[in-house]
Amino acid sequence: MEKEYLIKKWLDNSLTPKELEAFKALEDYEALTKLSNYSKGFKATEFNEDEALKKVLHKIETKKQSNTNWLQPVLKIAAILVLCFGAYYYTTTLDTTFTTDFSEKITVDLPDNSKVNLNALSSITFNKSDWKNNRNIFLKGEAFFDVEKGSSFNVNTTTGTVTVLGTEFNVKQRNNFFEVTCYEGLVQVTYKNNKTKIKPGESFLVLNDLVINNKTDYSKPQWLSNTSAFKSLPLKEVIAEFERQYNVKVEAKNINTDLLFTGRFTHDNLDLALKSITQPLQLTYKKSNQTIILKRE
Amino acid sequence: MSEDLHKNICNQNLFKVFFKKHSKNLHDFLYYKFGERLNPQDKVQDAFIKLWENCKKVPPNKAKSYVYTIANNLMLNEVAHQKVVLKHQKIKPKEHSNESPEFLMEENQYRKKLENAIANLTEAERVAFLMNRTEGKRFKEIAEILDISTKAVEKRIYGALKKLRKEIEGL
Repeated sequence: MEKEYLIKKWLDNSLTPKELEAFKALEDYEALTKLSNYSKGFKATEFNEDEALKKVLHKIETKKQSNTNWLQPVLKIAAILVLCFGAYYYTTTLDTTFTTDFSEKITVDLPDNSKVNLNALSSITFNKSDWKNNRNIFLKGEAFFDVEKGSSFNVNTTTGTVTVLGTEFNVKQRNNFFEVTCYEGLVQVTYKNNKTKIKPGESFLVLNDLVINNKTDYSKPQWLSNTSAFKSLPLKEVIAEFERQYNVKVEAKNINTDLLFTGRFTHDNLDLALKSITQPLQLTYKKSNQTIILKRE
Repeated sequence: MSEDLHKNICNQNLFKVFFKKHSKNLHDFLYYKFGERLNPQDKVQDAFIKLWENCKKVPPNKAKSYVYTIANNLMLNEVAHQKVVLKHQKIKPKEHSNESPEFLMEENQYRKKLENAIANLTEAERVAFLMNRTEGKRFKEIAEILDISTKAVEKRIYGALKKLRKEIEGL
């Protein structure tokens, strides 16, 4: 079996030089080398390791991403939830504001059943969610408050602050005009760091930085029954109120608007209201479009 | 063995090393066993991707046989008893270029015969024989790749050689 041994050694590339000589001497040498040489032609196609590795790593990466695909919808949902919750949280903690326009009056129920009547061209702002701890209202314009008993209730205006525990009162704050009228209970007004307590039937008025204490005979502010009542107040305040109630412009050029006016006008009838204002002061009026011109008689 | 230091092959650097060590052999193995038609390249890649996906379950000392088994199965799924086709690389030996047309024809015939004969070998014989002849791998190396004894490799290659000669030369 010398031949088979040599061939096997040849196949294994482990022939010693001496054995190689013997192998070459074999009669099969020619046929074997030919077969071997031609066999080499069947070599496997080129395999580019680096290229293949790159592809594999790439596929692994993309698969990894596809594995995390389920995360994406979850993240989307989570994002939406967060947004919804955020919006909900934001809006609930946001201050609530009610505003009235010219000649508009509304009633607002506060979270503790306190009621606010808002006169024309006024607004209140308060925080619903924090209402229990913090009964704070920001007021612009005029409003009547019917406050349930409870913790302190503050009405903040640019001029002063009104603090109560449970009562009915009216607050009017317009330009240089600040009036607080108490109808029930006890009201404390803080004006320029001075605290004033107002009993029922009393009112606290600041006009051009002057503090005036008045009395009222009514149990409710008159504007709630669609009338504006004035007691020795400058005509310009009356005119301003009139403009707010009727959404008109009033011209009073040649008239002393500091004249004091005592009286009332209705909110339902323009002519009647004008007459109520002009006649006591011996004035006449003329209407043109949205403007009303006041004149001396 | 550095491989044994690690519990698995999930580390990408380990994986790369492992890939470089085995991918070509696996490719050649598949190629010689199943021929070129079934795209051994793809199977190699797929097998390694599978390995990566299951890297935690496959201990490093089993990783090699794992990819071989996977790749082999992937091939078998596609084989459907197709006849093995090995493409003979058309490298014309230069020293023969001046040969007569008769010689060239004879040469072509020989190549055809050999192609047929190789296709007719058993898979085991063909893989061992071609790894030995075309890749120049020694018995021991082939034994390692195929996880069989050197003796078995020797037997397969020698057996293949005898069969081929018988078919070509009519011995």
